[in-house]
Amino acid sequence: MYIEELNTDKSKILTNYCECEQISPMDITSVVDEVVELTGRDPEKVILILQEVQKRLNWLPSEALKHICKVTDITPEQISGVSTFYSQFRHLPVGKHTIKICAGTACHVKGSPLISEAFKRVLKIDNDKNASPDNLFSIEEVACLGCCTLAPVVQIDGKTYGHVKPTQADEIIRDFLISGNQPVNTPESDINEDIDAEIRVGIGSCCVAGGSKEILSEIDNVKGKYNLNIRLKPVGCVGVCNQTPLMEIVTKENIHSRYTNVSKQQVEEILLKHIRPRSLNKRIKGSINDLVDTFLSEEKLSGQVNIPVELREKYLNNFLNHQVHISTKNSGVLSPESYEEYCLSGGFEALLKCIKESDQKSIIKAITDSGLRGRGGAGFPTGKKWGISLLATGNPKYVICNGDEGDPGAFMDRMLLESFPYRVIEGMIIAGFATGANEGIFYIRAEYPLAVTRVRTAIKMCYENGVLGKNIYDSAFSFNAKIFEGAGAFVCGEETALISSLEGKRGTPHLRPPYPAVSGFRGQPTLVNNVETLSIVPWIIMNGSEALNSVGTEKSKGTKVFALAGKISKGGLIEVPMGITIREIVENIGDGIVNGNTFKAVQIGGPSGGCIPASKADTPIDYEELTKMGAMMGSGGMVVLDNTDCMVDMAKYFLTFTHKQSCGKCTFCRIGTKHMLNIITGLTEGKATLEDINELEKLCKYVRDGSLCGLGKTSPNPVLTGLKYFREEYEEHTRGICRANKCRDLIKYIVNDSCTGCTKCSQECPVKAIPFKPYEKHEIDQLICTKCDTCRIVCPENSIEIVNIND
Amino acid sequence: MIKLKIDNADYEVQEGLTILDIARSAGIKIPTLCFNEKLPHFSSCMVCMVKDQKKGNFLPSCSALAQDGMDIDCSSDELKSLRQKAIELLLSEHRAECEAPCKVVCPGGYNIPRMNRLLSAKNFEDAFQLSVSQIKSSGLMCPDCPGYCENACRRKKIDNPVSIRNMQIFVSQQIKMGNSVTGQHYIEKSAKRFASHIGKIEPDELQEWLKECKDVVKRVREISDLTSAAMESESCMHCDCRAVDNCRLRDIADEFSIKDPRGKLVNSPIQKKININTGLIFENAKCIKCGLCVRLCEDSTDEPALCFINRGFVSIISEPLTEDFNDILKTKSKEVVDICPTGALSNLK
Repeated sequence: MYIEELNTDKSKILTNYCECEQISPMDITSVVDEVVELTGRDPEKVILILQEVQKRLNWLPSEALKHICKVTDITPEQISGVSTFYSQFRHLPVGKHTIKICAGTACHVKGSPLISEAFKRVLKIDNDKNASPDNLFSIEEVACLGCCTLAPVVQIDGKTYGHVKPTQADEIIRDFLISGNQPVNTPESDINEDIDAEIRVGIGSCCVAGGSKEILSEIDNVKGKYNLNIRLKPVGCVGVCNQTPLMEIVTKENIHSRYTNVSKQQVEEILLKHIRPRSLNKRIKGSINDLVDTFLSEEKLSGQVNIPVELREKYLNNFLNHQVHISTKNSGVLSPESYEEYCLSGGFEALLKCIKESDQKSIIKAITDSGLRGRGGAGFPTGKKWGISLLATGNPKYVICNGDEGDPGAFMDRMLLESFPYRVIEGMIIAGFATGANEGIFYIRAEYPLAVTRVRTAIKMCYENGVLGKNIYDSAFSFNAKIFEGAGAFVCGEETALISSLEGKRGTPHLRPPYPAVSGFRGQPTLVNNVETLSIVPWIIMNGSEALNSVGTEKSKGTKVFALAGKISKGGLIEVPMGITIREIVENIGDGIVNGNTFKAVQIGGPSGGCIPASKADTPIDYEELTKMGAMMGSGGMVVLDNTDCMVDMAKYFLTFTHKQSCGKCTFCRIGTKHMLNIITGLTEGKATLEDINELEKLCKYVRDGSLCGLGKTSPNPVLTGLKYFREEYEEHTRGICRANKCRDLIKYIVNDSCTGCTKCSQECPVKAIPFKPYEKHEIDQLICTKCDTCRIVCPENSIEIVNIND
Repeated sequence: MIKLKIDNADYEVQEGLTILDIARSAGIKIPTLCFNEKLPHFSSCMVCMVKDQKKGNFLPSCSALAQDGMDIDCSSDELKSLRQKAIELLLSEHRAECEAPCKVVCPGGYNIPRMNRLLSAKNFEDAFQLSVSQIKSSGLMCPDCPGYCENACRRKKIDNPVSIRNMQIFVSQQIKMGNSVTGQHYIEKSAKRFASHIGKIEPDELQEWLKECKDVVKRVREISDLTSAAMESESCMHCDCRAVDNCRLRDIADEFSIKDPRGKLVNSPIQKKININTGLIFENAKCIKCGLCVRLCEDSTDEPALCFINRGFVSIISEPLTEDFNDILKTKSKEVVDICPTGALSNLK
């Protein structure tokens, strides 16, 4: 949480924010014409056209749609079908600023529904009309902002707020309106070699959300102020995402000092501690500083605490030493956008080796021998896929990098694209070379603007340096790459749906075969690989297939990147060897559960996966083992749950997600999930019976068997694993008991005897459910209480308790 | 050529055929709803599921390509229950009635809505014939009946029930009075068929049926002549489904002996869209989202047609956002009605 304590008078909250100027009525047709001029008239471009028009108008008025049909080859049916399919497109005007409330798994378990309610309450937005009365704000619940370690997360326009509490809604809005969303200039890194130190600041999304851009500009200020001889270097994700922003100082003696949770005010002190200013006066001033030097500290250490080196090393060892870096090689060292640095660290050598010394069959053999399997979730052997692609006849052939990572609770692909764009590009070019494809497309979800920018820059650099384009390394091989931004549909992670979406259609999957490798994009052979899969390819080429094959289990080779989040002490992005057990990840890397709670389960694989109970935590990370447990590797979201998490609520959460994201094509997924959701909602409200649970179980099996694509087939997994491992919890709900005190219809808030009568709860209660009684024990009026959790958060004495509604 | 097994019999077929193609030409019956041989397949209804015995997974046979070495099961009980579930799920959001409430409660099973329509169209000849065929040997039951039909009449919830009983009696009297009746018309009361029900109707939804009547109707309680019969019959709201005898969903429900699921899901409110230019009616609550109508018109760019709107459970068939329902399907109206497997698309007549 980086917003500063603001000393504004509370009474001024929500009045006279700003004199909001009315957006001048724009000539819709001229906007459309301008966009079409850029994009062309091709029906395939419909998503791009809609995105560009919406970018300019903020929504899609029907006049705009009409005019698009008039000036392009897009039909009214196509534009209607497509613009209503993808969540990104709005057909109603929205407030000037959009508040995105992350509803990802990690945010959900940390209370995002309460946050959403708080914002709606503060802004007086009712569910139906989606803008505040002054038309300044509208609220959007988004699947996942990919900042799971900062959960719960709220994003207003481009500005991200992490670790938000329901009581902070008004504070955040004030902060936003005061500071606004002013772009912060990121200083360019110097090339000057003769320097005293290199300052590395993470600029992955989590770090940016933590405020790293402000840190960067502050460092630049301090540098100028003291005339420091330092180099400023923005670097990719380090993986320690819950302690952002991160700053690392490497002095010329090669001593590394890392700081977490850096605030703008601390920058000067930290810098002066390590680097001597050139003038004497300023040097004296600098030497008196002795500051926090922490790495991966438990809490934010704000005082003058110095953690001994050994202890620091221990933290570092625990978090980092159980990991194996292949996809994330050189994390925290490489500057994401720098082509030179990637090359200096051995980048594009694999490509050169392929083109100069190898041939298609040997490359595919190397990939096959390495045992690499698709990291998107299903685990199809990558070498086999490439083999099919190579044999497929057709020209042109395509390679698609699937970056439509939509699992709530997963952000590996985002991090890889943001931090290692060149590595993924290199993997793609090699895939193209090996399968005879000359066209590459990055399909990246629109919710990842930073990833899009980074990859775009990287592609540009690659063209400039001749690794993309015609006759790469003077060979006969040519390869082009471009970006396609997804428009917000989880189902487009399924490769056939992804291709439909690329073709400008509704993202509905179809039955395979024909496989995309044979007939895909525009009916041509198309190789679709996940971001992480491609990022491993250069490593295999350079280190040999045996090197990857030696890591992992019998059937699952190499490493897997996980987004570790939830009720864990140290979350972040981790890359672990296959075969490591869940317990090792939770206890060693994640350092156990927070707040003294007990480890209950791990949710792996997001909405397609399941909850593996703590008792089965010795299950190794392996495609087959996880499937056997009823979960799934999925794309790699790993959310740790503790005893305050309700398993029925979790299942409801995931089912709500899949139900919402279902494309609506096949009966079982479209209607079946609705019935399942109804039953499970009944359970959370204490209205379902044991018979309903049996019905739910039957439905799960039908939906699994009868759905067309992976989304539908795996959507019952969260419920099935819940019933398998936590059946008694389901049964308790039929008796109106939620042992985790999570299901809101089954709990109530009460004040216990430790209440000192400080009246804080009474003052803060948004619905006036607690009468003001100074120095007396307070009471909560159950008829008025909305269970918003505010009183419990503000109570200084922990006097507010959650109990079963019947107690 | 590839070899595969279907229901334990060996087949050798050309590559590129679907399992449905092969099964049908071999005489194996597989039910379908969203499939039409002339259109690209879509695999939406999942009623045509078969099982790949080797892989243990289920496939929609209309789009699953036959592959060498497959062992397909088309007829097991397991499949029957999966197919049945698919139909039950489709019916669980089918907020529609096969038969009008008045006809359902009529002890004689008289086709009351049809009688009303014939009268309002002033087609008295056919009205008399319908009456004759209903009366049969036992005579008209209405004089001895308390009028269950009028009690069930949906019009009652808006103002007054249609004067059904009086009309029936009046028409039968006309026959006795010697109005000519030619030919033999016997509409046997059909065997007990599947009947879908709506479930709870919201007040707003009730108004939708009024679209079937003229804006201003004059109500007559006592029917004294043909004019008054015609006038009163105009207030009938056409509660019966136009596809009552021509509905694939109903046929399949009968085939599987399915009971109408209780507690229907509400996808979107009951709505009747009427195209005033072509007489096309679209009733969303009857639609099974098979997309046949969409696919039928997909490549005709000359006139605005129907399309899918929204995603997932709330997706519906609709006119494009940029068009008015009155302006779509100027020429293909009849074709979409013919291809619709339910009564969702029909002709106002």
